[in-house]
Amino acid sequence: MNEMSILDPVLLIAIPLGLAFLIPLLGLVSKKIVRWIPVVGFLFNGIVALLILPHVLKQPIIVKIGGFVPPFGINLYAGSVGMLLASLIAITGFLVSIYAVKYITKGAEQKYHILFLLLLTGATGVVLTGDIFNLFVFFEILCISSYALVAYLGTRSGLEASIKYLIQGSIGSSFLLIGIGLLYGQFGTLNMADLARQIVDYTEPSVFVSMVFMITGLGIEAAIFPLNAWLPDAHSSAPSSVSAVLSGIAIEVGLYAVIRVLFTIFAVSNFFIFFMVLGVLTVLIGEMSAFAQKNIKRMLAYSSIGQIGLIVFAFSISTQLGVAGGLFQMVSHTLGKALLFLCAGYMIFRTGSMEISSLEGIGKKMPITALCFTIGTFSIVGLPPFTGFASKFMIIRAALANGELLLQILIGLVLVGTIIEGAYFFKIIQTIYFKGAHKTDNREEAPVTALIPMLILVSFIIVIGMFPNIIDKVLQPAASELLDQVKYIGSVLG
Amino acid sequence: MRKCIGIILLIIIAWGILTSLQTMPFGVSRAKVANHYINNGKDETGAANIVTSVVINYRAFDTLGEVTVLFLSAIGLGAVLATIKTREKRDTEKASLILSTGCRFLFPPIILFGAYIFIHGHLTPGGGFQGGAIIASAFLLMYLGCHGEKRLNDRCSTFSESLGGLAFVIIGLIGLAVGTHYFLNNFMPLGKFNTLLSAGVIPIIYIAIGFKVGAELSKIIDLLMEES
Repeated sequence: MNEMSILDPVLLIAIPLGLAFLIPLLGLVSKKIVRWIPVVGFLFNGIVALLILPHVLKQPIIVKIGGFVPPFGINLYAGSVGMLLASLIAITGFLVSIYAVKYITKGAEQKYHILFLLLLTGATGVVLTGDIFNLFVFFEILCISSYALVAYLGTRSGLEASIKYLIQGSIGSSFLLIGIGLLYGQFGTLNMADLARQIVDYTEPSVFVSMVFMITGLGIEAAIFPLNAWLPDAHSSAPSSVSAVLSGIAIEVGLYAVIRVLFTIFAVSNFFIFFMVLGVLTVLIGEMSAFAQKNIKRMLAYSSIGQIGLIVFAFSISTQLGVAGGLFQMVSHTLGKALLFLCAGYMIFRTGSMEISSLEGIGKKMPITALCFTIGTFSIVGLPPFTGFASKFMIIRAALANGELLLQILIGLVLVGTIIEGAYFFKIIQTIYFKGAHKTDNREEAPVTALIPMLILVSFIIVIGMFPNIIDKVLQPAASELLDQVKYIGSVLG
Repeated sequence: MRKCIGIILLIIIAWGILTSLQTMPFGVSRAKVANHYINNGKDETGAANIVTSVVINYRAFDTLGEVTVLFLSAIGLGAVLATIKTREKRDTEKASLILSTGCRFLFPPIILFGAYIFIHGHLTPGGGFQGGAIIASAFLLMYLGCHGEKRLNDRCSTFSESLGGLAFVIIGLIGLAVGTHYFLNNFMPLGKFNTLLSAGVIPIIYIAIGFKVGAELSKIIDLLMEES
């Protein structure tokens, strides 16, 4: 008890919130300290999350806020899935905030750091909470800070993208709230475990309606086709450090919420074929649109849609291996896409243009950044020995395990998507290294504060890719946690 | 065509909500959680106002989140408006002496009323959010009535905003450190029921929220006024 009360998972939310409130005060003292506050916050979160993670693999920690027994108070459910994603959020947040120390120089700097800190705090809250309304509140924190950060640069395209995102996101939030309201009206409780216990049959019309509302609302943030119209603009016009967390964390957290609601609250078991088809469509549309892009950030944004499709597909196989593969793909997409956006940020900064054609010869100008970018693309495409290979391989194994014809056809289509993905990423690499050889620019590498996070991400990608067993120890319990609704209810309500 | 599709979709949504609503009995209490709040709220939290006991004690974590949402919207608005370079110059006419004196006269009572509302949040209807909104309305009145004469003190609003939020988090963390070791635990004595000094940490949190909400809403008004 003593050790656990020091390492309470609630600290992962409380400390960053407190730091965010502290930033305006510190800003009155010194402008320079403020930049390092997110770094400190996420360093703390990363350490605490990694210390808690081994404890929750067997038995989840149920945090009763205010000491009220669920369902009367709010509880956090720090299980394997929650802690895996919380650690991922904290580590990515830490690296991206180091990058942002030098990268963010324009605009209302102090406000940027508050928004960034709160965006990821919201994400942490979503993955840890065990209460459906609390999930909505943290979701709002996540969304509102994203809207503001997309418009941060104040360019015309940024403002337009932000308004688009704001309108669609608000509609999504309202749908989510309507769904929650209908559920509360029928069952009189907001606790996820209590709801799960009381919902016997999700196909009952009144329950089904609330499920549809919630999934549609969350699906907008998760960017599942056809709810992803906001994403390419928003992710491409935000500052690159923001794009990295929007692509790497925000949509994944949205997807986590979809999965949690489907698996745990409604115990959906038999219309996953619908999600499978949606997933494959999302992959194909995302990858094909990415292929047609000339703007590097838009290409990366569309590629995120494709990756989300793949994760949706993996989850909807809904076997132990499939769900584990989906979670693994989440991890490798977060690492890979964050790396790509961080590299792209300085490549764009140095060339002054987002056009892919202007990247000619950047391989000589910024060799380390270009190398990191290449490794990131290899991992996203799924080449060994990087993480993307291990996770995609797991998904393929899961799809072929049952020997169902439909799954085989669908995974075939997913692989077509991967080939398209390979095609456009290799096109960029060709531009970076082999075109424009006549240009002999001086070396202009990204600053050290940017190179360190990139190299750390690269090392994660290589290490996890070569030794997937490290993460498999977490993925397996996490997948069983998502699939075992009875255990979830039991561990919360006793 | 688009309108037709829109109407059809709306009908489907309305039908869905209706089917769901029909299953809910009206006027009958069957929510276990709500009954628990009504029957045990007084003993468990010491607040005479049941709504407050839910908002600041049972579901205090949500309230912490809501306070953050408001904080975010003020910060986000500031961040977006900071990017606008060219400001429109507009000719404004000075308000008449009667109007500006009246506003100045009303300003302190409104502030006092707001403070009353949030200090008594655990006893009477209202609380930190409502009190804060009333305080902000006093600033709005000043902006409307005495345009261009008085501005919100930036430093002061930053202080109340930050300290309010910090107080909420720190009270939560103290709850984690002492007593039963739960975050946002009501660790102070509940006191005599229905008196000003009762209900443990609830009044303290509500005062913090009152300052914070008042400062934030006034800041939003200030930012938008500056633009127009």
